Amino acid sequence: MFRRTTAERLAPYALVAPAVLIIVVLRLYPLVLGVNFSFTGDGERDGTAVGLDNYAVLFGDPLFLGALRNVGLLVLLLPVAVAIPGLLATFIYLRVPGHRFFRGAYFFPAVLSPVIVGAVFNLLLAFDGPVNAVLGTVGLGPVDWLGDPDVAIYAVVGVHVWATFGMALVVFLAGFATLDSSLLDAARIDGASLPRVIWHVIVPGLSRTIQFVVVTTMIGMLTSMFGLLYVMTGGGPGGTTYLPEYYIWIQQGQMNRPALASAASTVLFLVMVVVGLLQISVLRRSGRAD
Amino acid sequence: MSVSRVSRWVVAVPMAALAVATIYPLVFTTNVALKTRHEYVLDRLSPAGSPRLDNLATAWHSVGMARYFANSLIVVTCAVALLLVIGSMAGFALGRLRFRGSRVLFLGCLAALFVPFQVIMVPLARTMTTLGLIDTHPGLVLAYVAQFLPFTIFLMASYYAHVPTEIVDAARIDGNTLFGVYRRIMLPLGTPALISVGILNALFCWNDVLIALLMMPSARNRTLMVGVTSLRGQYSDDIPTFAAGVLIAAVPVLMIYLFFQRHIAEGVTAGSTKG
Repeated sequence: MFRRTTAERLAPYALVAPAVLIIVVLRLYPLVLGVNFSFTGDGERDGTAVGLDNYAVLFGDPLFLGALRNVGLLVLLLPVAVAIPGLLATFIYLRVPGHRFFRGAYFFPAVLSPVIVGAVFNLLLAFDGPVNAVLGTVGLGPVDWLGDPDVAIYAVVGVHVWATFGMALVVFLAGFATLDSSLLDAARIDGASLPRVIWHVIVPGLSRTIQFVVVTTMIGMLTSMFGLLYVMTGGGPGGTTYLPEYYIWIQQGQMNRPALASAASTVLFLVMVVVGLLQISVLRRSGRAD
Repeated sequence: MSVSRVSRWVVAVPMAALAVATIYPLVFTTNVALKTRHEYVLDRLSPAGSPRLDNLATAWHSVGMARYFANSLIVVTCAVALLLVIGSMAGFALGRLRFRGSRVLFLGCLAALFVPFQVIMVPLARTMTTLGLIDTHPGLVLAYVAQFLPFTIFLMASYYAHVPTEIVDAARIDGNTLFGVYRRIMLPLGTPALISVGILNALFCWNDVLIALLMMPSARNRTLMVGVTSLRGQYSDDIPTFAAGVLIAAVPVLMIYLFFQRHIAEGVTAGSTKG
């Protein structure tokens, strides 16, 4: 319908060119480069092919195995981390007294940097800090939150959930906005109890939202706890709070072993791909069920 | 639904307690920042006797917080501006126009969305060193743009996909080039989405610590968040000054939260309700 000049035909490509250039050079190419890099050596063997040596070192390193164990722990805690904001969003949707205020208050920590959150909780969870002081008044503790190898990882994950549940809550509330309210009304007329309504109406109605929250929460746990670990525990005590991302940073930034770090990166990427594929298969199945 | 008045209040009480738990930590930090060292050692929880701003002044002047603040401000401003321009151009092209290869390019951008920074940080640091961009402001800006561009494109594309084709066609008939359509129509039309995406990107960049740590090794180039991580060691025996530094770093984000809460929530949820 228009007579287009060559320049006009190329215009869409000009519009996307800067974006494509940046993404290819600084996101996709490094991925390939990194996988390649993980099969070369560090230090004296820099640049030479070493086969799977880095991976052998990796899976013989108690710190990395500990990091993977902690990933397993995160997966186990995932249902809790999704259920808490889901339940709170349900109550806010049902207009519990003060729901507007709760929404704002719960979302508030989500905008803070993990560095700020970690620094604040360093003070709160210190051995002689206020949390232990409060516990002391009811005859509990004191707990060495960040110094006890059996407790520290739970403390850090707990702080991460504190800082991020508001994000998932807001996503749940957006999902509720798309929920067919006539179903809820029908359940109300039938006199269904709240747990039954949640299980039979809300969970099926929000299946897409729940999947979205599950995946984003998992990705968040795997890739956005660095700041907390860096500020709160530095991987300690005794290496018990390592996660793959922290291990990568230590090997790259502190130990000067970039090839080993690349191997850890590749393993982390494979973990993320598995999470992604599981998500797709769940999506497909629920798609058929619709 | 059979939720009686009473049971609503039964739920509201623990929810209120949780709300206190989300707000109190920052109230505590603010209170500590206003205390003297002596007051803090005597009693951590009591309200500051005579609130004083000395600690804030000390934190601001003595450890280079002012410099770190400026570094962060420059880098975040440049990164967000670039993200909005490049992201809206690509979002318009990929979300509204059909051209050979557009679908593949869009999928490529989506794929990049699932490559976390931790996976590419080692080779990226090498590439940046080769390009002479490590430890420079432009280098960090570029790293942020690369990190948050896929998300920006995704959101802008799904926003522009809802713009009726007739608007584009009409503008073309009026003699606009494609760039003219972008500049005169799509940019102004995209303002609400640009505000949401811009604020979110500003938060992401301002709050980041890993990318800044990797890209800016030298102390004078630290961003504010990296600066905060170094405060603890310097003020391990002066917690009120440490708390003051933390508070200074949190204030810009608190401002953004207070004024733009709705926009942030919109940006966060934009990806969840589509598709």
